Amino acid sequence: MSGNLYLPTMARITAIRQESVGARAIKTFQVEFPNGDGFDHDCGQCAMLSVFGKGESMISIASAPMIKEYKQFSIMRTGRVTTAIHDMKVGDLIGVRGPYGNTFPLNEWKGRNLVFIGGGVGLAPIWPVIQTAIANSDDFGKITVFYGSRTSSDLMYRDELEAMRGAADVNLSVDVAEDGWEGYTGFVPSNLMDKPQSPENTIAITCGPPIMIKFVIQNLKEMGFTDEQIYTTIENKMKCGVGKCGRCNVGKDYVCVSGPVYSWAQLKDLPQEY
Amino acid sequence: MAIIEDIRAKAKELLESEKVRAVLGYRRSTAGILAEPAFIASPADVDELVIDATCVENLALYLVNEKKRQKGEREPDTRPLAIVAKGCDARSVAVLLQENYISRDEVVILGVSCGNSGVIDERKLNKALRGKQAKAADFDDAGNCKVTLMDGETSVPAADVMADRCLECEVAFPQVSDFFYGEKVTERDFSQRFTAVTAFAEKAAEERSEFWAHQFDRCIRCYACRAVCPMCYCDECVVDSTNFVVDATTTADDKANRICWINRSACTSENAMYHMVRAIHLAGRCTDCGECERVCPVNIPLRLLNTMLEHEALEAFEYKAGYDPEQPSLISSFRDEDPNDFIR
Amino acid sequence: METILRKDRLGEWAAKLGEQAQVFAPAFADEIWNFAPLEQGTEIAFEGINTVRSAKEFVFPQREVLYRFQLSKGQQPEITQTLPADGAKVVFGVRPCDGRAMVRNDKVFTCAPCDPYFQTRRDQVVFIGLACATPPSPNCFCLSVGGSPSSEDGLDILMTELGDRYHLKVITAKGGEIIDRTAEFFEKATEADSSEVEKAHTAAREYPQRTLASMEKVAEGIKRNFESPQWEELARACLGCGACTYLCPSCHCFDISDEITRQSPVAGERVRTWDNCQFPDFTMHTSGHNPRETTGTRLRQRVAHKLLYFVENHNMQQCTGCGRCITHCPVGIDIVKVANIMEEGAGA
Repeated sequence: MSGNLYLPTMARITAIRQESVGARAIKTFQVEFPNGDGFDHDCGQCAMLSVFGKGESMISIASAPMIKEYKQFSIMRTGRVTTAIHDMKVGDLIGVRGPYGNTFPLNEWKGRNLVFIGGGVGLAPIWPVIQTAIANSDDFGKITVFYGSRTSSDLMYRDELEAMRGAADVNLSVDVAEDGWEGYTGFVPSNLMDKPQSPENTIAITCGPPIMIKFVIQNLKEMGFTDEQIYTTIENKMKCGVGKCGRCNVGKDYVCVSGPVYSWAQLKDLPQEY
Repeated sequence: MAIIEDIRAKAKELLESEKVRAVLGYRRSTAGILAEPAFIASPADVDELVIDATCVENLALYLVNEKKRQKGEREPDTRPLAIVAKGCDARSVAVLLQENYISRDEVVILGVSCGNSGVIDERKLNKALRGKQAKAADFDDAGNCKVTLMDGETSVPAADVMADRCLECEVAFPQVSDFFYGEKVTERDFSQRFTAVTAFAEKAAEERSEFWAHQFDRCIRCYACRAVCPMCYCDECVVDSTNFVVDATTTADDKANRICWINRSACTSENAMYHMVRAIHLAGRCTDCGECERVCPVNIPLRLLNTMLEHEALEAFEYKAGYDPEQPSLISSFRDEDPNDFIR
Repeated sequence: METILRKDRLGEWAAKLGEQAQVFAPAFADEIWNFAPLEQGTEIAFEGINTVRSAKEFVFPQREVLYRFQLSKGQQPEITQTLPADGAKVVFGVRPCDGRAMVRNDKVFTCAPCDPYFQTRRDQVVFIGLACATPPSPNCFCLSVGGSPSSEDGLDILMTELGDRYHLKVITAKGGEIIDRTAEFFEKATEADSSEVEKAHTAAREYPQRTLASMEKVAEGIKRNFESPQWEELARACLGCGACTYLCPSCHCFDISDEITRQSPVAGERVRTWDNCQFPDFTMHTSGHNPRETTGTRLRQRVAHKLLYFVENHNMQQCTGCGRCITHCPVGIDIVKVANIMEEGAGA
């Protein structure tokens, strides 16, 4: 069966954590490959998760590449496949094929400061970069993280983010006022504007709802960041994952192959059809 | 056919007085001999309008499509649309009025009579020309279809190349209109309504079953038949899984629990379901504009299927769709004398 | 290698090929021309008209089962890969435009990672091309997109009609193999034959076709006028159906979905089916956000993909000028007209 690009490998779910509940519930899944037939990946890449009888969904790999024991996916429940995944339990099998897509050029960023700006479930695609940077903090300058969600109970990776303070400048926010919240109250782009970042020798990496990305990029440019200094990862409807089915085609690119990681310099030249 | 100058003059008048936001009509096409839909919004463009035997499309479709297009606009132009409508097209407009998809003040009907004639069926014409390619064609008043070829001219009998639906048509001119062009011809030399459908129904059940199995096998599920039908205006279609409305109120459960009535595969079983469900949903609504059959790339004889339901409506309930906009729709009304022997 | 087949032996030769492969040829059935399995004893009739459905279906069928799955409680799911097992095929009457489209399909499907379903079918089919004496359609424009009525690209053999005989030119090893295997049907082509073929091909190119500006100019025009409101105007009548894309010999978009045959425990097939960028929901995200919500943006996508993006990626146009999309569009949307408008300037 090797060589068939559409066949998933079966992985076992070894941990599930509820990140948030409600209409836009998010769960984090860790999967392990019992037969040792997993794959290595790099920051920014995604995998197709497969539930037989329901379909497939392309999800960012949220674990850092240095973690070999498991792969992590943080998934919002939003439709047929993701509901089926949310209904799964520890021990269940799930199909995985990948890794797909391009990667964050972390090696090129050695010696630079890194500013991460994430919103909602958009923290997951950039989480591997944050983790890798912190684990190799000698290779990088100052690491700053901006992350916000609708309410404090919607914040993902809360424990890990708190534990990161010290190694990184962590700035959490919630959209609406809340009793007992000591962090920033307001949208993520505003939080960023409130603590302006110097573009000097810095790369900004952002991911979140499209409207958040739009304002974050606007604010970063106001702070003096060039298009080449801003990176994001986009989503588009995907089916094959290998640049053949045409679903994710934007301009001359297939997002599943030439993306999903793009610098703003590259992205603004593509038709805004994503 | 009617006088084009009068139609152009009326279109110009309506546009200059800003009474309508556009005139839906026909114009020459670069794609072939058939006319194509024209959306004339400026009085200066009315000379593009044509009316002849190549004006086959049912423009009532665009009353639906333009309405849907407006849903996305912040400040839609609420003026009515004017539509050039043949007798068959006007029936579709009447059904849209019957079903309250549009209201009477949203449409200005420029009714055109086909006289003792009809429209050209391109496949029939190509067959009659035996490989020669036509550049233009039209019917004259003497029962001929005059054809301009790549290299010369020729003539074939009009009846040989006239659309089947015209040959069975009993509505030579629009039954509802605001302005009228042409003659209200009531006697035509054509065959009876439902000739093809009743002849087909007389075949043995097994023969009919094999016939349709073969036809459904050929379908590639391009959905052209559904896309061109003015009556198929549902935003979400039971048998078309490529349409699903997702807005701010749609929940994950809505999407997760959406029933998949038929698969995407174009195999016989799925195609049969698609066509038969669509046909049944046209009962009492299909007006035999014939577009579904014309647009099918693989020439599935859809009129035989869809007009069967039109025939049923007549046989069972004496119902004729699209003649009177005031008439209630078949499936949302009843009469005391309706057959009800299945209710005990 | 060039060889001659007498016309009156064509049927016999096809029957001989039929002993080891399924043979297909254009046939007139249900009032349209289409590729159909060649039935015993029927003559192959090459008319001047192109088939409605294209040769892409032999390598990229509407439905392809990728694999079967069977779940059972407490065990690993059983997955059975279902590579195509239809066997060898020989297709007569493939027009050069369909052959050139095959080259484009090869680029999409066989470039890494290689699609095994496409590759299996591609390896097992022999395309016998038929040079066009006259344009098969009033909407032909192969000459404007780098093609010609006698192009050999993507074909295994090219047949040219010479009065009472056919001239066959072997283009690939696959094509050569079937000729060698049935050598008794052929006579050697002479120099006179070759020069007659040359004349026929040259004459064919003299027939008027529809025209497009050059590849570079069209691509640049589309790019320059990308934001033009003309796209919406040109697509105003578009129905959002699949006629243009499904008949196009080089359109390849597909969907992958699960079709269940048993509910508990779940069993079924994961299938690939044709999909189409003109369907309204093609690009819709699960959130409801649709990057291409209007017919204008979708028409632009199709035209740009054929005449700009493919050029940017592969330095060739994906459109091969067969004209099917123009002929079969229910409302007359015309890629030649659109491309020429964009190249000339579109207007504000």
